[in-house]
Amino acid sequence: MLCRVADSLFWMSRYIERAENTVRLVDVMHQTILESEHSNEDVGYAHWEPILLTLGDRDAYDAIYPKRSSFNVSEFLTFNEKNPSSVFSCIKSARENARTVRDQISTEMWETLNKLYLFIKRADSQMICSESDFEFFARIKEFAHLFRGILESTFPQDLGYEFVVCGREIERAAKTCQILDTKRFMSSSTSEPDDAIDAVQFAAMLRSCTGFEAFHHEHGSDLDTIPVRQFLLLSQKFPRSALFCIRRLQVAMHAISNCPITLFSNEPERLTGRLVSKLNYALAVDVEGENGDRLIDDIETELENIAIAFSRQYMQAEIYDPAVEATQKQSQG
Amino acid sequence: MKIDYDTGDFFDEMYHADGTARPHYARLVETLSALSEEDFHKKREAVELAFLQQGITFTVYGNEESTEKIFPFDLVPRIIPASEWSHLEEGLIQRMTALNLFLHDVYHDQKIIKDGIVPMEIIKSGKHFREEMVGFEPPKGIYIHICGTDLIRDHHGEYLVLEDNGRCPSGVSYMIENRRAMKKAFPQLFPASGVQSVSNYPDKLHKALQYIAPQAGAATIAVLTPGIYNSAYFEHCFLARQMGAEIVQGQDLVVKSDDCVYMKTTVGLKRVDVLYRRIDDDFIDPEVFNKESMLGVPGLMRAYRAGNVALANAVGTGIADDKVTYCFVPDMIKYYLDQDPILPNVETFLPYREADMKYVQENMENLVVKAANEAGGYGMLIGPAASKEEVAEFRAMVKDNPRDFIAQPPISLSRHPTYGDEGLDGRHVDLRPYIIQSDKIRVVPGGLTRVALRKGSLVVNSSQGGGSKDTWVLNNDQ
Repeated sequence: MLCRVADSLFWMSRYIERAENTVRLVDVMHQTILESEHSNEDVGYAHWEPILLTLGDRDAYDAIYPKRSSFNVSEFLTFNEKNPSSVFSCIKSARENARTVRDQISTEMWETLNKLYLFIKRADSQMICSESDFEFFARIKEFAHLFRGILESTFPQDLGYEFVVCGREIERAAKTCQILDTKRFMSSSTSEPDDAIDAVQFAAMLRSCTGFEAFHHEHGSDLDTIPVRQFLLLSQKFPRSALFCIRRLQVAMHAISNCPITLFSNEPERLTGRLVSKLNYALAVDVEGENGDRLIDDIETELENIAIAFSRQYMQAEIYDPAVEATQKQSQG
Repeated sequence: MKIDYDTGDFFDEMYHADGTARPHYARLVETLSALSEEDFHKKREAVELAFLQQGITFTVYGNEESTEKIFPFDLVPRIIPASEWSHLEEGLIQRMTALNLFLHDVYHDQKIIKDGIVPMEIIKSGKHFREEMVGFEPPKGIYIHICGTDLIRDHHGEYLVLEDNGRCPSGVSYMIENRRAMKKAFPQLFPASGVQSVSNYPDKLHKALQYIAPQAGAATIAVLTPGIYNSAYFEHCFLARQMGAEIVQGQDLVVKSDDCVYMKTTVGLKRVDVLYRRIDDDFIDPEVFNKESMLGVPGLMRAYRAGNVALANAVGTGIADDKVTYCFVPDMIKYYLDQDPILPNVETFLPYREADMKYVQENMENLVVKAANEAGGYGMLIGPAASKEEVAEFRAMVKDNPRDFIAQPPISLSRHPTYGDEGLDGRHVDLRPYIIQSDKIRVVPGGLTRVALRKGSLVVNSSQGGGSKDTWVLNNDQ
């Protein structure tokens, strides 16, 4: 497979996942705000700020909008073309990558993605950002699910498929960590702990990961920091927990190289294996308080390193270096 | 559907001047009349939506942000009877044979120049003449593997050659998609005796590419595209997908010191044998041609000249489809084949000749002036429709650069009933058949009928408000 094709499949997948996750975040936030004090745009903005901080986008936001308002954040995260991580930008980038590999993916995959693009391009952004149009967010989530379903049933499960899985799982694991981060920013904004507010925030986080019901299956109704972190980071069964995603990533990577999963044949495999072990053997104490904060940071950093190493291994255009070839020749001669 | 139609003062493809349908259209007229206008309209909308959703689009340049558009498709098919088609087929094969002999000659012995048929100056000053090709023998001696020749019909319905596209002709994907859409929308319109199929084009193309592979055995074939922002990217992907070939960009390829071309894959480098390149000569190899080109592959010409990779079309074919060279094609046919041209050229003036320059300068407002090296309807003056300023501007340009222009009397292209906002109305059409050369020359039965959708317009190019029609070659004459 061409390096560029691998790269495009990886990013197509990553962008769709990113778009879907941002939609979840925005949608849940819209719903949460309805039950909180939101009498004016300033107060509304305070609810949104943790999301901007988690996504590392607050500076980008301030550069575009003179005013901090609830409407603006919603617009920024959903539609703004200048924000490369807005839902619209992600869908556009996903489509662009898909277009690059139009010959590799199934017609159904391409058409679904193209329809999604046309859908958001034609959406009424003013109305959606001011009136929280749940229908709109639901449609985008449905498109994302549909795309994955079509992928599973129309895309040959060989090399290209594994690159798609890698893109999806890296992004998903990273987003789960970011969603856990929002809680940290929320806590820091209020000085005194309040159980009722905590419960609402935890519920929102779990919903952002579609994990609200699954959490209750695994942990009962114990909506507290440790069980929520255990669930979102270490669950063996929940498809969006960091451990689950990284394990899935590991399986896909080893399918690409054909190296047994107990060994490693390259740097991204080594990093991934190490991270899997770390999470696999983590205890409750490892997710508690500052330990937990550090663990979340570590996972995020490691995911970035894995993505870089992975790209270097399979997708870099530097596979052939004429200078290296020349030196090899000389040393042989 | 009520057909209330005026052929006007033009040659109409469907109707005789007296308003009766030509025999090969009789059945279509009958079936169309039985359709309700509402049905027809619904089908049209459905087809347009399908094209948009499938991303069967092209990119229009010029605006700050290039926009993706669908190539408008008209649901009234153009029909060509079998005997008329064999005439065209013969003419196109003759022309293609002569063009290929010309290219071989011009890059080797230049007999046609020595014998005084084509002036040396025309060749030397041609923007698309490539010194690098002199003395080089392309695989199997073929230069133009894929040609799209534009035909028009004059007042009497005679077919004339308007231009040859022997570099990177595009549009063939629309030919195939149009047929597909037509079959879905109006199965009842297809005659019982059938229509000659165009769908195996990718297969023919694949065989033609395989034919020139430098090594025996299964060749690795790739389509070289400038990338997703190119106006014909959809087509490049379409063809690669249909042929099961790789689609590559310049950045995906390297030429190693062994002078072979490789593509960069996730498991290392893989040798490429044949490139169907959709990048112009100028951009194909920054080591040899345009140094700034990011689209090409450094060293590609080296690999090509070493015979390690085959290119389709060959480098340097542009000298044959230059609009000035065009004027000499009838002479080439005589010179190389000792035959009369089956398909005549449009009468053309060459400002490069003194007498023609005088005529062109004096009659510019009655002529169509075209830049010799441009395509897509750019750099063109339609005298009768132009303002005084525009005419003056072209007068000066032609005077300063005689070699860069040709002039032709405006030909009133034939018209074809086309479905517009006011029902069926006559619109001007041309025809681009596709010709493939490998062990022999084959013409795809049909081609792309382009239609100028704006009332009265003679410009059929997609970039300038043109659309297209499905083109049916019948198995018989009615």
